[in-house]
Amino acid sequence: MKKSIKGIIALLILMSTFMIPGTSASAEDGSALQRVQDAGVLVVGTSADFPPFEFYAVVDGERQVVGMDMMIAQKIADDLGVELQIEDIGFDSLLPALEARNVDVIIAGMTPTAERRRSVDFSDIYFQTFQNVMVRAEDEEVYPTIESLSGLTVGVQTGSLQESLAEQIPDAEVMSLTDLNDLLLALKTNRIEAIVMQGPNAEAHAGNDPDLHTFVGDFELDGDDEGSAIAFRQGEDSLVEAVNESLAEIAEQNLTDDYLATAGEYMAQEAGDDGFVASYWEYFWDGTLITLLISALGVIFGLIIGSLLALMRLSKQVLVRFPATAYVEFVRGTPLLIQVMFIYFASGMFFNLPALIAGIIAVSLNSGAYIAEIIRGGINSVNKGQDEAARSLGMSKKQTMRHIVFPQALKNIWPALGNEFITIIKESSIVSVIGVGELIFQTRVVRSISFQGILPLFVTMLIYFVLTYTLTKLLNFYEGRMNHD
Amino acid sequence: MIKVNHLKKSFGKNEVLKDINEEFNQGEVVVVIGPSGSGKSTFLRCLNLLEEPTEGEIVFEGTTLTGLKEKDLNQLRQKMGMVFQQFNLFPHKTAKENLTIAPIKSKGTSQNEADQKAVQLLRQVGLGDKEDAYPASLSGGQQQRVAIARALAMDPDVMLFDEPTSALDPEMVGEVLKVMKDLAQSGMTMVVVTHEMGFAREVADRVLFMDDGLIVEQGTPDAIFSAPKHARTQDFLSKVL
Repeated sequence: MKKSIKGIIALLILMSTFMIPGTSASAEDGSALQRVQDAGVLVVGTSADFPPFEFYAVVDGERQVVGMDMMIAQKIADDLGVELQIEDIGFDSLLPALEARNVDVIIAGMTPTAERRRSVDFSDIYFQTFQNVMVRAEDEEVYPTIESLSGLTVGVQTGSLQESLAEQIPDAEVMSLTDLNDLLLALKTNRIEAIVMQGPNAEAHAGNDPDLHTFVGDFELDGDDEGSAIAFRQGEDSLVEAVNESLAEIAEQNLTDDYLATAGEYMAQEAGDDGFVASYWEYFWDGTLITLLISALGVIFGLIIGSLLALMRLSKQVLVRFPATAYVEFVRGTPLLIQVMFIYFASGMFFNLPALIAGIIAVSLNSGAYIAEIIRGGINSVNKGQDEAARSLGMSKKQTMRHIVFPQALKNIWPALGNEFITIIKESSIVSVIGVGELIFQTRVVRSISFQGILPLFVTMLIYFVLTYTLTKLLNFYEGRMNHD
Repeated sequence: MIKVNHLKKSFGKNEVLKDINEEFNQGEVVVVIGPSGSGKSTFLRCLNLLEEPTEGEIVFEGTTLTGLKEKDLNQLRQKMGMVFQQFNLFPHKTAKENLTIAPIKSKGTSQNEADQKAVQLLRQVGLGDKEDAYPASLSGGQQQRVAIARALAMDPDVMLFDEPTSALDPEMVGEVLKVMKDLAQSGMTMVVVTHEMGFAREVADRVLFMDDGLIVEQGTPDAIFSAPKHARTQDFLSKVL
């Protein structure tokens, strides 16, 4: 799964590179620093499910990504004299986003492994870390060392350093998931016996959850592997040098200790004991609004695109019909996940399209193909006599379609359109992979800051159900009003 | 008013109309009869080009319809009302809206004027109380009368009827024929494809008998019904009368 997605992203990036060779991503420009300073903003990619390094907290009444890495990012931006802009993207998608120029740098507790060094450059190491093993509290005695885990199932985060460290456990079966919270849930529900996790992160979780226990694993580490560094596109040495200066200053003044302390305060604040709903309702609320926004716009634009495609497909001209047919077949024959990633990453090569806009475009283009087929079926279902009657009265083809055939088609396809809307509400969750803060994304955030695995999932499930059920009722109401039989 | 020259129509290899030449004059009521499959409906549908002729030409009020541009054809179709076997009322519109949509959209008539005319026409076909009813709540006979009124709302110069009573329950045939009879008496030019021999005998100025894609025989109702010359006409009439 992981390999295939990465492969496809790489392929897409390669394809986009060929499309406009002049704007190739890995340009050897010595003026990367100049470019950032000209833009006046440093775009930092991160994956905010990793306390105490990066996670969400309410600061001055506003939710934002905080943590040690973000404070380092702020310091770097200040030193460069530019604004800081943080893009929260899934850990898996960070490197593609960097290469596709969606972000300038990655600060996400990322370890500069030899494998990663092949595709990106790294700053000096800014934080020396250690690697832990997380087990259930009740197993504290059973699994005291990494050797005791031999032959068992061990979880790691996809694409992480820990994924390769886990191979040092003899005969262990490695299960890799994108989301740390899912790993913790898998651990608690006995699906896996242990998780290999970054040290401070593991301690943050164990400290907040009495069901978990963690210990430092004695893994063999490469010199390179011990610590976190900032990732850059290859060849942007001027930017790397400038950032290294800031990092040197941070090391000199031992600022990371202060940063970690501040992060700890945020964590304590977010894990407040106001009750789950009271503490986190805003995350769900925001997520619900974004989900509704994406779905509603997806349906509206989808209807426009779909109507157009349907009319094209009904044309007698092959040259008009063919592109529409090809589009519909292609879009229906490829996963929405890839379409979302393609539009986001490929567009990053040419201009900075915000993830939300990219998500809405992808969902609209996708639903357009499905709606086109629904509308085409609807138009075909209208009795031919209706068209003949209107044409015999002297109405033009266009008037006939608009006033006679289309309204009746709409009535016939109303239930199918409703289903499509409901499908979009659920499917739009896929845009969370590019960091759009819709419901699934916010659920991930809540899970990481609340140290709760299941409850946020349950709340989200309820919200989705309320949304789709209300919509069904609403559609039924309007269907009834259209019915003159 | 309508002139048909060497009209031929084929569906694939099936030749439905074989070289038809005919003329319909102002104020004339012509009834077309003949066995099923004889091509009479296709003939009627060729007159306003709902079916595109394979060969030949249709001339309406001095203009050749065949090969005409879409826009001009729409203009001329406004002058040729048509009534269908299956009524084809617009189910999402009320009786009144069925009558007003085309005048408003294609002729640019004002809503007000179209409404007034619609109410008057519905009254004329005996449905003054049904203006806000949707087609689904009307009987077949009532629907067909609305359909006739809908065609009349465009002020046509000629009315084409394609088996207007064939889909009706027997008890409803009379009310529709009555409306058509009144229309004929008002001087409307009409071409009617029908199996109602009584109507043909009573109302028609001229009767055409079609068989196998050709007009086999024509004449006054008296001539056709009382003294058919052609063997095929005799055979057909002996079966239906």
